[in-house]
Amino acid sequence: MSPTLTADSVSVSFEGLRALSKVNLDVPRSRITGLIGPNGAGKTTLVNVLTGFQVPSEGHVILDGERLGCLPPHKIRRRGVARTFQSGRLFSDLSVLDNLEVTGIGLGLQRKEAASRAAEMLEWVGIAHLAERTAGGLPYTDERRVAIGRALMMEPHYLLLDEPAAGMSAEEAAQLASLIKRIIAEKKCGVLLIEHNIGLVLNICDDIHVLDSGEIIDCGSPAAIKASEKVRHAYMGTQADAVGEIL
Amino acid sequence: MAARSSILAKTVSTPVILIGILLIVALVALLVKSGPFNQTVIDIFIRVVLVVGLYVFIGNSGVISFGHIGFTCLGAYATAWLTIPPPMKKMALPGLPDIILNAKLPFAPAIVLAAIFAGVCALVFGKILMRLSGIAASIATFAMLALINQVYSNWERVTGATSSVVGIPINRSIWPYAICAFVVVIIAYLYAISRSGLALRSARDEATAAAASGIDIPRERLIAFTLSGVIMGLGGALYAHSVGVVTPDTFYLGLTFISLSMLVVGGMNSLSGAVLGVVILSTIIQILRWFEKGVPIGGTTLTIPNGLQEIAIGIVMIVILMYRPSGLTKNRELVWRGWPFRGLFGGA
Repeated sequence: MSPTLTADSVSVSFEGLRALSKVNLDVPRSRITGLIGPNGAGKTTLVNVLTGFQVPSEGHVILDGERLGCLPPHKIRRRGVARTFQSGRLFSDLSVLDNLEVTGIGLGLQRKEAASRAAEMLEWVGIAHLAERTAGGLPYTDERRVAIGRALMMEPHYLLLDEPAAGMSAEEAAQLASLIKRIIAEKKCGVLLIEHNIGLVLNICDDIHVLDSGEIIDCGSPAAIKASEKVRHAYMGTQADAVGEIL
Repeated sequence: MAARSSILAKTVSTPVILIGILLIVALVALLVKSGPFNQTVIDIFIRVVLVVGLYVFIGNSGVISFGHIGFTCLGAYATAWLTIPPPMKKMALPGLPDIILNAKLPFAPAIVLAAIFAGVCALVFGKILMRLSGIAASIATFAMLALINQVYSNWERVTGATSSVVGIPINRSIWPYAICAFVVVIIAYLYAISRSGLALRSARDEATAAAASGIDIPRERLIAFTLSGVIMGLGGALYAHSVGVVTPDTFYLGLTFISLSMLVVGGMNSLSGAVLGVVILSTIIQILRWFEKGVPIGGTTLTIPNGLQEIAIGIVMIVILMYRPSGLTKNRELVWRGWPFRGLFGGA
């Protein structure tokens, strides 16, 4: 079996409220897996489970065939599962370079080595000119790119992107799409892309899972998802217009 | 892209400037040649040690600790145990183990051992406390302070309970205190630029993202807590040798308040803030002390009521928190950017 990051029948309940219900999801390497669904469907909860921020009430996370148990987030990151956050969450008092450098340190590098790897990564993402800027004052799109660079430090095997295109213009989203494609082509990691920008997801993902009210209601290729009656139904009300336009 | 200069080269001016400021304070004391003023300057160096010790933990972790003066208490009593002449110890503190009862160590090894003892205790406490964060951690450190104070106030045969422990050899030269302050500034600087220091500051900014970046936050906090425990213990030992007497209540709420105020006024997140906070507030305290004793102005003597120092410090702290919450240094470090003083305050 090829290596994957897998949610195996994962359920999460918050004080009786079921946020995820027996969710199965595979994120294979070198592919882009999309995760879409209306607000409150449980997408971020699933990312939290996969990265150790949320302990599932039932089910397991399986990394390359091995059950992870209750590993804390920093240990899961060290095992090669990286993520970004919806709200950016950069280390705002530190410089952009230090944001990446400190991740190298967290992953076991000495400062000097971490700094040079961080500089290389900024170059790779195409934001080397921001290196000395304080992360706190960056514009939105740059913030996202720094967050992705930070998550890519030390070549993780899996990268989970939580709404990286939120608030981006069409042109910026296109740049992001090409960056994600480069990540797959050059870094060979598996990407899980959570997005409300359905156009972006349909455009670049190899597989798409649709989450609604804590359950995976459909999965398949972009073409299959486009044609799915269930998906159309799930999006009715919230994003009917947007989806209708694209489908 | 230009080659990035090493962190050391970029930031080393900070400890150099800070030690320069402290050297000037020491030189003033040598020039004035007055006994009481000499003691004042020794007090300043001890406070630098204590406040820099607080900074190592609070500044880097962002977790406020109300308990660090407990480690100062541990250090002060530890040096008392090691340096009081054995016959006096056998009378006053008969509960000590024989090896300590018979020990009579010189100043330098005694303060080093006292600092290490405080550090070991900090490691043990920290192992438990560093699982907490935010206000829960702060309150737990306060509980730790009360706990240490109660043990030392009641363990008659080992600490003399609430009565003063006397007979600690007094060292009146300013240099041992100055050198300890310099060394502590250098240690704090080296920690801040270390891997652990940077990792901990990232967790202070964004704990969630730090964990997602592979940083083991409790571990980094524990390192800082232990190191700051060592420094606080050293400060306590120095205090003991500066006055020759210790009591548990010397190391309790009063000292906690004054050292935290100095850190807050200077700027909690910067080493420069810690040192400048001490120098500035100590100056204010000294001036108020003179006024409390009475200062002749013209034909009359101006005297202010006793206790006004603490009130003034409280007011200064509140004003700073209202108008400049990141302290006088705005949490930045003093850095050298060429002559004369172009952009004295550099990046964080």
